[in-house]
Amino acid sequence: MKKILIVDDSFYMRTMLKNMLTDAGYEVVGEAPNGQTALELAKTTNPDLITLDVILPDNTGLDVLKGIKADQPDMKVVIVSAVGQEVIVNEAIEFGALAYIVKPFSEEKVLEVVSKALAE
Amino acid sequence: MKSREQEYKEIFIAEALEYYDALNRHISVLEKNPQDDQALAETFRLLHNLKANAKAIGYLQISDVSHKLETAFSLIRSKELSFSQEVVAVLFDGIDLLGDLITNIDNDTYGEPDPVLMRNLDIIVDSLSDSTIELAKVQKYNTAKSLSLSDLIYIPIKKLDHMLNLVGELMIDRDRIISLSRELDNDELKNVSSHLYRITEDLQYSVMGARLVNIGSLFNKFPRIVRDIAIAENKEVNLVLEGQDIQIDRNILQIITDSLLHLVRNAVNHGIESAAERVKKGKPSTGQLSLIARNDRDNVIITLEDDGKGIDLKQVRDAAIERKLIMPDVAKALPDTEMLSFLFEPGFSLAKEVTEFSGRGVGLDVVKNAIDSMGGRISINSVKGKGTTFILQLPTSIAVKGALLFEVDNIFYAIPLIHTEQVVAITTDELHEVGEVMVADIKGETVTVVYLHELLNAEEADMRLGDKSKLKGQIQNIIVVSYNNRKLGLIVDKLYRQQDIVIKPLSKPLDTIDLYGGVTLLGTGKVCLVLDVPAITRFFITRR
Repeated sequence: MKKILIVDDSFYMRTMLKNMLTDAGYEVVGEAPNGQTALELAKTTNPDLITLDVILPDNTGLDVLKGIKADQPDMKVVIVSAVGQEVIVNEAIEFGALAYIVKPFSEEKVLEVVSKALAE
Repeated sequence: MKSREQEYKEIFIAEALEYYDALNRHISVLEKNPQDDQALAETFRLLHNLKANAKAIGYLQISDVSHKLETAFSLIRSKELSFSQEVVAVLFDGIDLLGDLITNIDNDTYGEPDPVLMRNLDIIVDSLSDSTIELAKVQKYNTAKSLSLSDLIYIPIKKLDHMLNLVGELMIDRDRIISLSRELDNDELKNVSSHLYRITEDLQYSVMGARLVNIGSLFNKFPRIVRDIAIAENKEVNLVLEGQDIQIDRNILQIITDSLLHLVRNAVNHGIESAAERVKKGKPSTGQLSLIARNDRDNVIITLEDDGKGIDLKQVRDAAIERKLIMPDVAKALPDTEMLSFLFEPGFSLAKEVTEFSGRGVGLDVVKNAIDSMGGRISINSVKGKGTTFILQLPTSIAVKGALLFEVDNIFYAIPLIHTEQVVAITTDELHEVGEVMVADIKGETVTVVYLHELLNAEEADMRLGDKSKLKGQIQNIIVVSYNNRKLGLIVDKLYRQQDIVIKPLSKPLDTIDLYGGVTLLGTGKVCLVLDVPAITRFFITRR
């Protein structure tokens, strides 16, 4: 089972993502509500993929992305962001994020992006 | 069962109200100090989340207002909009409106937001440079606004403990009343008592439900702990967590916290080898540690598994013989699982001869006592070189337990279901006298069998548990119980039924009799003693 770490500061968003991913047969190995936890869980849970929200209470998602990539250069990261964050998303792609999902997302979109990213 | 939509909605509202409170806090800070970047960033983030969440769930007014406010704050952040008094007033109004919209999600009669306020927000957002003069005074629809309180409350666990005790007492009285109504054969009383039954049952589950917490609240502490120990020990460990959303009584979770911490520490310290050692053995350099919770009927099963060096059975066997816990010839024939259970003996591994895995054993008896104290079970499996698995079987609730009722010598007894393995009936011929005990082949396993009539009634000096001639009748009903990887058959006179019972501790001076774990009252008003399976099993291990 592919392991996924969810990084999002909203419990509501995490719950939705988790349900969608779990229903589709992925294993959600961790949920991080902030950058600090995200960096820790990225190391300790060793997921196959991380979904990363770009606005977090303690860091920007970009800092978290850089932190993860510095430690685990091959880690697959998918950005989850709301409309209006295009600048950050573009930057994130430059820093090695594989794809992005725009909130509000549909289940199909999430699963499509995640499975594509995992296949890369 | 709650639908997922309902669950999403509840989560959305709870989180939105939290955001609303935080927004009020931050904007009050900003009003005094508009340069507070942190408050500004937080305000922006909260509005951003609220917008996205509201849009996802379909509360478009909330997402629209959040969006406008978010834009306003991003303009303030980029200094395109000044934090003037007029602007602040509109922002406060906007946040109030959000609060109103959130609290009125279920209120169909709630009308449209004040158009003047919406226009003011548009003016700010469209950043008509310094045209904030245009901002119209919003007619405060409700100046003496009522304060809304959160739907969630914190309750000290002591209060819930007290409630659960009362429910327990109530259940005993209820069963008595039901029994009386049958004896009196009064229809009206029967009706009332069956209603009473349903209500107390509802009450029991409500109180038990209020005490449940997610096991994740404990599990999620472990990634950090494992990481820290692994780094200190210079090991590579991958911790996998599963079943964090399984629910369990808060006190049970409290009781197992230290035990689980102990077991996890042991697994990383002494179970999993260093990367170099693992590679030498042909294992992947990263050790796997999994902590998994799942439901099994009324119980919660927690499994802690590592793929480390495992436990050397030979060392355990030698140590047990050395410490005279077991005779050498018996030790040879003992199944591995029973051999491993010696690790739970008090101070077992403190002995010098087993220092190599002493860390494994130190305190395992403490862990076991903690699990026993709430009527749970712990067992261990280990294969040398492959790894070790601990399995904790825990009741979901402390006070009310499923039990099997039976009779010995016209007295009622109960055994908690968590300790019962199976019930069998065998003929007396199938029982064999071996030394001071009887044994029987039960489903391919040799099990020590005890005649409870003799154990519970005979004087210690005359007690002859290995004497078949004491048995009555040709067919023997046997309840097979298990504790600490050991099975024991108990011969009873008569089997009754399964029933939820409320176990009360025995009061002085009876509390020193360790064959009994407590007492309960049956609906008939009869006292029923609850057998302490751990104590009885221990009694026999020392005899064998």
